[in-house]
Amino acid sequence: MYRTFCEKTDLNRLKKPLTWKGERIQWSGYFFILPFFLPFLTFTIVAIIFGTYIAFTDWSIMGAPQWVGLANFKEAINDEWVRKAFLNILRYGGIIVPSVTILGLIFALYVNQRWYLSAFARAAFYSPNVVSATVIGLVWVWMLDTQFGLINNYLGKVGIPNIPWLTSPKWSLIGVSLASIWWDLGFNFVLFLAALQEVPSDLREAAAIDGANGWQTFIYILLPHLRPTISMVITLQLIATLRIFSQVYVMTNGGPAGSSLSVIHYIYTEGIVRFRLGYTAAVSILLFLLILLVTIIQQRFIRERESI
Amino acid sequence: MKELRKNFSFLLQRGNMKPRDIPIWLVGLIVAVFWIAPFVWMVSTSLKPPKEVMTREIEWIPRHVVLENYIKVFQYPILRWAWNSFVVAGTATIVGTFFGALAGYALARLNFPGKKIFFGVLLASLMIPAEMTIVPMFVGFLKAGLANTYIALILPAIPNVFSVYIFRQFFLELPKELEDAAAIDGASQFGIFWRIALPLARAPMIAAFILLFTINWNAFLWPLLIVFEDNMKTMPVGIAAFTPVVGTHTQLEGFGIAMAGVTLLSLPSLLVFFFLQRFFIEGISRTGIKG
Repeated sequence: MYRTFCEKTDLNRLKKPLTWKGERIQWSGYFFILPFFLPFLTFTIVAIIFGTYIAFTDWSIMGAPQWVGLANFKEAINDEWVRKAFLNILRYGGIIVPSVTILGLIFALYVNQRWYLSAFARAAFYSPNVVSATVIGLVWVWMLDTQFGLINNYLGKVGIPNIPWLTSPKWSLIGVSLASIWWDLGFNFVLFLAALQEVPSDLREAAAIDGANGWQTFIYILLPHLRPTISMVITLQLIATLRIFSQVYVMTNGGPAGSSLSVIHYIYTEGIVRFRLGYTAAVSILLFLLILLVTIIQQRFIRERESI
Repeated sequence: MKELRKNFSFLLQRGNMKPRDIPIWLVGLIVAVFWIAPFVWMVSTSLKPPKEVMTREIEWIPRHVVLENYIKVFQYPILRWAWNSFVVAGTATIVGTFFGALAGYALARLNFPGKKIFFGVLLASLMIPAEMTIVPMFVGFLKAGLANTYIALILPAIPNVFSVYIFRQFFLELPKELEDAAAIDGASQFGIFWRIALPLARAPMIAAFILLFTINWNAFLWPLLIVFEDNMKTMPVGIAAFTPVVGTHTQLEGFGIAMAGVTLLSLPSLLVFFFLQRFFIEGISRTGIKG
């Protein structure tokens, strides 16, 4: 009785530290997150607010920015190059996203078998992902060279005439996509592999005992388990592809005649090289809206799937 | 050495292979070899004399091995670029990993108002494309007179969301007892983090370090924007100019120099990956973006 009385009137409680969710607040938490969040917020939130402001001005580095309302957005929508660039990134998405999703899944299913030399295959499939865009770009410019490139040399052996992979408007986007698939696949492959390794092995064993073949196991056991990963891979890859830049810059510089131009590439040439800051800030907001749309659609899609 | 054995023990693992699996197994291996063929071709080309590069004949092993292309590469300020890359990627990675550990620890362990909001902002930022920020960032750094400096290259690379994720995930799963004991002994919050929590976080630290270093070493867009002096270029940006293609025309000197350049650029990454691949793969699956 006395003890409980003492505890209740504990002197410390007179000082009564502030609480949050029933526990004492650890103020030091703010000092822990400050070194990260100060530059982080500066380079994201502050930069975005500043960028949105620039988009409504005619700023070109010299002088003071003049407010021009929606003029930049109107110009962007009517700009032939902007349309071309947006159409191109959708094309890139249409080629790269299904390719890396399907191939990445097949490669992951293969490596997940853990046969002889599986580790070699795993390293091989992932390896292009660790090198920079410069390496990817230059290696593939060389591989896809019209006259002396390895690909055309091999195609020539089976009687296919030289394909101008990077030098014709018809092929350039496909050429850059090939390099991008090689570069990006590894990341998605690893995500699939991680998801596959989480499939309980007794599930597969049970399926095997019930006489399911490989295909049935895949459709009924693995695929339902992989669905969230597949949807994540598609979204992440689509967003990444809509932002495609470095390999385009190294391989074709957007050419010929803008046939491989991406939106970021256009922002780079118009904004950074020619200093049309207000205008390109507006273009980047359009790109952001497109990416936001993709994200929202994907979220909806997932929610619908879950409710079924 | 232990790491090496861990990586390669897989080579000998047979798994559940059956005779009827052999055709698929072989096809898969051929695809894997095909997948790294561009790297082999890159190294092979870099060792050939120009005449043997620009030819329709396919020679995987060079007839004459020469270092001519590498000697030409070193006529460019490539060592300076390598040093720039090393300083920039090294600093950004070390500082970024440490700041990420601090923030990740606080978001997992400490109790303070606004914690959820901070984490929410972190998540939301993944949806916000960097492009939204490149124009304003470029203007900001230019106006601050920081173009062509290490500060401009390093500073924006420091706050890395993945680093925070990796550590937060790790500390959420780590049992709390050790830290509680230290707290009872009257250690300060930072003391607990520095002496107890951080030494336990060796695995996420390596994973975050490798992930961040790869990202920073390969960074392209920002270094391309903010540096216009040849001497301050990073290696990927400097070497990108080695292309012999001008417009739609390929210069006769050919791809030898370009391939020597990218071999030098990619070899460190590929070697580190080869020996520490477990951590690369862990880094990705640890980022909390698992399905």
